[in-house]
Amino acid sequence: MNRKHAAGRWLASPLALFMLLFFVVPTLLLFVYSFWRAHTFQLEVDLTLTNYLKALTTAIFYSVTWTGLKIGFITATISTAVSYPVAYYLVFRTRGNIVLYLVLVSWFMSYLVRVFAWRTILGSNGIVNSGLQALGLIDEPLSFLLFSPFAVVVTLVHILLPFTLLLLVSALRDVKVEYLEAARDLGAGLGATFFRVLLPLTLNGVIGAFMFTFVLAAGDYVTPQLVGGRQGITTGVLVANQFKLTGNWPYGASMAFLLLALFLFVYFLVIQLTKVARLAPGSRFHDAA
Amino acid sequence: MTIRAIWSHEEILGAEGLTRRSVLRTAAAGAAAGFAAPFMPMRSARAEIGGELQIMAWEGFQLDAEGKEWREKHGVTVDVVAIGNQDDVQAKFVAGNPPPIDLAEYNQGYDKLYIEDLKIISPLDESKIPNYNAEDIFPGFYKRPTWYKGGKLWGVPWTWGLNSLIYNPAAMAAPTSYTDLLKPELKGKIALVDDTTATWPAAVRIAGLIDKFPNLTKEEMQKVFDNLKTYRDHARVIALTYGDLISLMVSGEVVALFCGWSGIPVETGKQGVVTRYAIPTEGAVMWCDAWFTPISVDNSDTAHDFINLAVDPAVQAQTAKAVTAGAVNRKALDHMDDATKALFDYGNLDAVFKAAPLYGIPPRESDTYATYSDWVDAWNEFKVG
Repeated sequence: MNRKHAAGRWLASPLALFMLLFFVVPTLLLFVYSFWRAHTFQLEVDLTLTNYLKALTTAIFYSVTWTGLKIGFITATISTAVSYPVAYYLVFRTRGNIVLYLVLVSWFMSYLVRVFAWRTILGSNGIVNSGLQALGLIDEPLSFLLFSPFAVVVTLVHILLPFTLLLLVSALRDVKVEYLEAARDLGAGLGATFFRVLLPLTLNGVIGAFMFTFVLAAGDYVTPQLVGGRQGITTGVLVANQFKLTGNWPYGASMAFLLLALFLFVYFLVIQLTKVARLAPGSRFHDAA
Repeated sequence: MTIRAIWSHEEILGAEGLTRRSVLRTAAAGAAAGFAAPFMPMRSARAEIGGELQIMAWEGFQLDAEGKEWREKHGVTVDVVAIGNQDDVQAKFVAGNPPPIDLAEYNQGYDKLYIEDLKIISPLDESKIPNYNAEDIFPGFYKRPTWYKGGKLWGVPWTWGLNSLIYNPAAMAAPTSYTDLLKPELKGKIALVDDTTATWPAAVRIAGLIDKFPNLTKEEMQKVFDNLKTYRDHARVIALTYGDLISLMVSGEVVALFCGWSGIPVETGKQGVVTRYAIPTEGAVMWCDAWFTPISVDNSDTAHDFINLAVDPAVQAQTAKAVTAGAVNRKALDHMDDATKALFDYGNLDAVFKAAPLYGIPPRESDTYATYSDWVDAWNEFKVG
């Protein structure tokens, strides 16, 4: 091992140790718990698949998980699609960062404050409904604006879009502008330049931004409950109830790991889709000689 | 040139009766104490009243105004963690190394769980709560099994009241029955709240099974939720907490609550919105909260004095007025105005509790009845619809 590698390992070791102690070990413990039983908040050592089978045979688990997946997918898609052109503008079209700062300034506000702000904006007596009524466009408030999947997606996109933007800016900064110029010189239009040059070169960043937003949105259970109404119950609520209300940690842990497995499957699916769409970097667009 | 030190190292130590060995010994002991200190068990009591007091309390029940003088007198700083749901409380204490919370509240239905099953309560020292005595406290609240077991005092009941219908009189006529909430003009304008200690017994009451609660079979439990679906489908939202519900009523998003704590009108009133509570013909649901010291109590003497303050007659009267609740100390009646006194028939509390008994919670384990876990699962399915 040369000195450079050794120095790198030393620098990374505090964080690695922290992650090992406070993430990996607790996660492994919870995984072990998921095979145990519980009796009024008391854990009983066992090795059983009962908890997993119970979750997989309960209709509500599928129902709320599907709700979470839909919320996650829609939020991640909108966030990524909206962020990409903004990131392109920031990297290739401007020298200043004012737009970036304007997007990031929302981070200075507490998460819950932002959620309640959207409740005020979208409510029956909120800015949107009041404005539309004042303009004579509607007679009654639009009830679907709040306590609906629409409200959940709007709020989560607002909260998570800065993350997506930063990841995409980082990915686009690795792209040499000469590649884009070469593509245009060779006759590629905007679409071809984007799909055959820019997107493949930034695909890892796009997938990272999408999955990061997807996992956060699909796993969130506070925002959906506050603005989603009955359509805002996600798997996180079921997991939290087992830990808080019934003391059945093994059952709660089993649902959490089923959700983790699902997220990993979604990630695998996204990778495969990009390969099928021939977007992965290194894909050949012509037969090798 | 020779440079001579004024004091040698050994001369300095010797002047103080110290030797190198004694200094090293002391330093080693100090270092060992410094490393071991975080792992030492916390002292369970301090010799005086004062300092920081950490409590878990329902919003509006932390004796903000009522305890101001006491806090200033003793130099106590009260840090409050709000309870959104009674189940928030045990979640803090069941894991290893619980936080150093000195006081919390438990609803009457949680005595067995906290005292016998989870053992998260530290028994109280009655001698430090002189206001809690047989002469002053109404018999129904003095050393009854909910708070006094095995010769030990586990909790001090200090406030009680009704969970009932709450409504905005500017937006609707005073309801006389829960079914009034189902009027067409109230579609999408009412709320339920995710407080199972209030909503479940109220739902059982309107399903006509209240005499059996909390011991219902699974079929009976399902009947309760099937009956409640009508209200759910008519509602705008199931609010997460009472704080959430209050903000919804203040913003006008909802104009009525199916069943909630009777102090809500006080809280909406603070924000300029008048709401009232109504006891429908089907009846209301009684609750009673008790202070207890958790196993993690750190400032025990101050915690005991806080409990003593909570059952002081004058404080009881102030609290009863502030949150539209009942007092447990009969001497509080001397400090109440007529309106507060008229909230409950203090001359015949037996009749009050006969009409609206204090109910427990579904059993944690049972082969015959729906368990608490069954109720939670059914409630989740109900919320998702």
